[in-house]
Amino acid sequence: MERSFAEEVKQLQLGQGQVLRGEGILAITKALLQSGVSYVGGYPGAPVSHLLDVMADADLPVLKPMGIYLDASANEAAAAALLGASINYPMRGAVTWKSIVGTNVAADALSNLSSSGVIGGALIVVGEDYGAGASVIQERTHAFALKSSLCLFDPRPSLQTLARMVEEGFGISEASNLPAVISLRIRAAHMQGSMVCKDNVRPAISMRDRLQRHSFDYSRIGHPPSTYSQEAQKFEKRLPAARRYVVERGLNEVIPGEEKEIGIILQGGLTPTALRGLLLLGRADVFGRSRIPLLVLNVIHPLVPEQLLDFLEGKRRVLVLEEGMPNFIEQELKALAYDRALSVRIEGKGTVAAHGEYVPEVVLAALARFLGGDAETRMAGLAGHAGRGRQILGTPLPKRPPAFCTGCPERPMFSALKIAQRELGETHVSADIGCHAFATLPPFNQGNTILGYGLGLASSSAVAPNFGRRVISILGDGGFWHSGLTTGVANAVFNKQDSILVVLENFYTSATGQQSNPSTGRNPRGDSVRMSIGDTIRSLGVSWIRVVNPYKVGDTLKTVREAMTTAAGGLKVIIARAECQLERQRRVKPQTAARLKARARVEAPRFGVDPDVCTGDKSCMRLNGCPSLTLKESGDPLRDDPVAHVDQTCVGCGLCGEVAHAAVLCPSFYEARVVHNPGWRERTLQSFRRRVIGLFQPA
Amino acid sequence: MSAARRPVSILIAALGGQGGGVLTEWIVAAATHAGLPVQATSIPGVAQRTGATTYYLEIYPEALPPGSPEPVFSLYPMPGDVDVIMASELLEAGRAIEMDYASPDRTTLIASTHRLFAIAEKTALGNGIFPRERVEEAARALSRRLIACDALAVARAAGSEVNAVLMGALAASGALPLSPSDFEAAIREGGVAVERNLAGFKAGMEVAADAAAPESAPARSWAETKVERAQALGARGAAFLAVMAQIEGEFPAALHATLGEAAARLIDYQGTGYAARFLGRVRLVSAGDAESRLTERFARRLAVWMSYEDAIRVADLKTRRSRFERIRRDYGAANGRVLVVTDYLKPDLDEIYGILPAAIGGPIARWAEKRWPDGRPTITQHVKTTAVLGYARVWALGRLRWLRPSSLRAQREFALMDRWQQAVIDAAALDYDLACEVADTATVVRGYGEVRRRLSGAFTRFLDEILAPAVARDRAAGKGYARARDIVSETREKLLADEKGIESALFEAARS
Repeated sequence: MERSFAEEVKQLQLGQGQVLRGEGILAITKALLQSGVSYVGGYPGAPVSHLLDVMADADLPVLKPMGIYLDASANEAAAAALLGASINYPMRGAVTWKSIVGTNVAADALSNLSSSGVIGGALIVVGEDYGAGASVIQERTHAFALKSSLCLFDPRPSLQTLARMVEEGFGISEASNLPAVISLRIRAAHMQGSMVCKDNVRPAISMRDRLQRHSFDYSRIGHPPSTYSQEAQKFEKRLPAARRYVVERGLNEVIPGEEKEIGIILQGGLTPTALRGLLLLGRADVFGRSRIPLLVLNVIHPLVPEQLLDFLEGKRRVLVLEEGMPNFIEQELKALAYDRALSVRIEGKGTVAAHGEYVPEVVLAALARFLGGDAETRMAGLAGHAGRGRQILGTPLPKRPPAFCTGCPERPMFSALKIAQRELGETHVSADIGCHAFATLPPFNQGNTILGYGLGLASSSAVAPNFGRRVISILGDGGFWHSGLTTGVANAVFNKQDSILVVLENFYTSATGQQSNPSTGRNPRGDSVRMSIGDTIRSLGVSWIRVVNPYKVGDTLKTVREAMTTAAGGLKVIIARAECQLERQRRVKPQTAARLKARARVEAPRFGVDPDVCTGDKSCMRLNGCPSLTLKESGDPLRDDPVAHVDQTCVGCGLCGEVAHAAVLCPSFYEARVVHNPGWRERTLQSFRRRVIGLFQPA
Repeated sequence: MSAARRPVSILIAALGGQGGGVLTEWIVAAATHAGLPVQATSIPGVAQRTGATTYYLEIYPEALPPGSPEPVFSLYPMPGDVDVIMASELLEAGRAIEMDYASPDRTTLIASTHRLFAIAEKTALGNGIFPRERVEEAARALSRRLIACDALAVARAAGSEVNAVLMGALAASGALPLSPSDFEAAIREGGVAVERNLAGFKAGMEVAADAAAPESAPARSWAETKVERAQALGARGAAFLAVMAQIEGEFPAALHATLGEAAARLIDYQGTGYAARFLGRVRLVSAGDAESRLTERFARRLAVWMSYEDAIRVADLKTRRSRFERIRRDYGAANGRVLVVTDYLKPDLDEIYGILPAAIGGPIARWAEKRWPDGRPTITQHVKTTAVLGYARVWALGRLRWLRPSSLRAQREFALMDRWQQAVIDAAALDYDLACEVADTATVVRGYGEVRRRLSGAFTRFLDEILAPAVARDRAAGKGYARARDIVSETREKLLADEKGIESALFEAARS
């Protein structure tokens, strides 16, 4: 796993009044334990991958002793369905995933869950992957909350508030029978801060205190005629109950201010940005006291009309700060004002940027525009230098997109695919979600579409029969087990699709931080369990299956050529099997260090480029892109251009040499294998060799 | 209303995997150690594997009594309101500036000056490296205080990492309300590689303390270099000095260094006679060149071209004593350790018959090129050049220099070289700057095997299909050769940019 939370997990045992220091996700996990949760689960994805990592690390020392069940859900739909336990039984459960994509996958289960309603608190912590640093399509979770009647929290980001809202999330869910969703923004998830703890609460129903009787209640089945009464309940009982809970528990916050004729209504998540903006414009202090009244909506669905009307009373103008589109809050507020024939002017997306992340400069500009007068002068003072840097830099800096790590086993597969297409002609490549999506970027530029996680193969279904060459689809092992097995492979076999599927099996769900998946050999709880991709595919009736070691680019290239040209119809599957290099290094490095310390023999291979042999054509870079394969000055007084260079971060995977061979590039690459603590035989052989070779070398 | 003090803000710009997260945790721990309220956040996650990554911290500069209201920290940096920017690489410092975060009124900029190249810089065929001077100038102009040092070099020297060195510089800058002991406590609490990190931290503090901008070493004079070149040539050093004397007598001083480097290279490559052939060609261009600029460019490209890397040259370079010394040094294979070097060689048939005399190699080439029009078979070899037999094989190939002058490869290279040389001379008769551009364009002929054949082909097409028509058009128009000059320089850039460059160059040239 990318990060171990073994140390932090100790803090999950803290009791009443003690202070926890750490990341937002740790605070959330602690709050789950303080809420008496019975079961947890989820599917990893930034920015909440670490939430699952924390739970996995906490399983043995904390969760198991409390009888809490941890589910390593196969995908988000499975995680959402997990919450089905709370329909019939008064058990609190919490699951997590990345939104919007995970929520999309979970949507069916979520609709059914909220229609049936829950009696035990059901909480979903979604990582709201929006704005800078996001890795998916830009949509918000808000629309799901509206259509399925989920209570949606967008809490003000401080560890204490996050923890409180988790507890209130269970509360509102039980009061309203609706599932509750906490939307955790990227920066809030990774925020480091502190909170004051409460004691953990052992769940009443758990693996240690099991249910003895099942509960059957047809009115809770998502099937007609129950569905009709469930719909009525949602709007007649459940949402009103949720609104009452919001008011009674004071979940939304009013910050009073002396400039009473104006006000700002904002998503809780935007609070620090808005307060900082007001501070810079001279309208707030550093402790969050504001001259402009604020209504901070920690719960953005359902809104409480009475609360909104209270805030609007006596105001001439109100600004709505609502990140993301559509602008549901602004619309509801305007509809409300219209219904009540209020004269207040409500400004929203017309004053603030319509879409994109509400970074400080966007919010500041909106506030200055809204406040006018000296606010605009103050803003101009901050931005006086804007643009000067760009002017001096002259041209935009080269972008630094994410890329495969040094020694990544996925890179050589794309080197082989690129070389194969040079020989046999370019074809359509359906990419997927995972680290391998980096292949769509330079230098590989491989991948014509990305349709979603595990959908690589399925998204080529209509291209394959209509394309002049065999098309190629990509799946990682994560995507394969998430949904690619049925949506992709079964679909292709059933439709007798003639195409190529490349499965990159590196044994972890690597992009999100090397979480366990069915290819790993054990689940996150540490139980030994392995499923074979090869056997699984074979059992579906695929006969053309090849397993390659991707680092052997020449062999892989041969296999790709065969797949592209064989007369065999149907799906052809190439499984590129090699361990994620990050995880491998994490394992190997300490072992090597220990061996060196013990003066044991260690071979350290690294690659190199002879600077006088390299002519600087950089063909190698265009087929590789390894971070350790870089440039340096040639040292040649007659050449202007830099030459290739392998830096010290090389892990000796050998790809650069293999690519130079497979693509017949140049003789510049060599492997230098240094043997530490060699035996006497090796040393003697070396000194003999050096002496003989020395005879050929003039000093 | 805001009489209270403001939080101090720190933006860390790093690359995924560079230890920016650990640096952030250290600063948080240091502030906590000092009893100051602190908050940090980051945008790592999948989008950041080796990509640009940022971390952001705010520290409230005084301890607050229990029960007092908490300061509201921002999760985002605000352009113009950042107190400290730390960049673990030069381009990332530039990026923080590009996004207006650095301000001349406020920001202490602590930047490592080493470069990790972005993919676009690496894949350009020519020199795609972003000019560092521009980043350095922007850093000076847009910071209140600049602490710039090669943190990677400092870290390596101290046996540490960049992040520890940068934190040392941060401590020395005094930009935060924290003392060095707070940072040291943070490293100790972290508990990972404590001694190495403390060493890096101390080294960083020292570097920042005498933060005078490092000055580049003064360029060495040609006189010194000349002696070195002569020594490196061993027995042939005397011959080189003789050629040098001739050059110094015949050519203006501005050309001595270039012609001298060229002569040394070609004597090393083939022999004194070869260097004389080179000078003969240079004379054809220098005859009418009062300025020397054209001759310098022509000679530079010619020398590199004439020392084209055939199999003999590669074998020679790969078996030199100095090469193994360099590898031993760079890879830490000191005494007591064993070094095994495996060379990845894969000559195609063209390389092999290229060595043969043209009379023999020619017919073979014609047959082979008909038999395998899309590329000849290759011979895959992993040669262990630290073992006796492996070394001997490569060494023997390197001794075949005597075959070179009459070889098929030489015949082909010189045929194209002659055409280029004539084009330079012809252009010089029309327009001096145009001739310089044409001379420079020979730089695109490089690489091995298929790459070189492709680029040589592209260069031929440049001469025939771009240069000739462009000159003809300008001559007909009778208004000078500015347009032809532009076309040539644009073509060179296109050819250097990527494999498909010649197609787009032809397209552009036809349009303009």
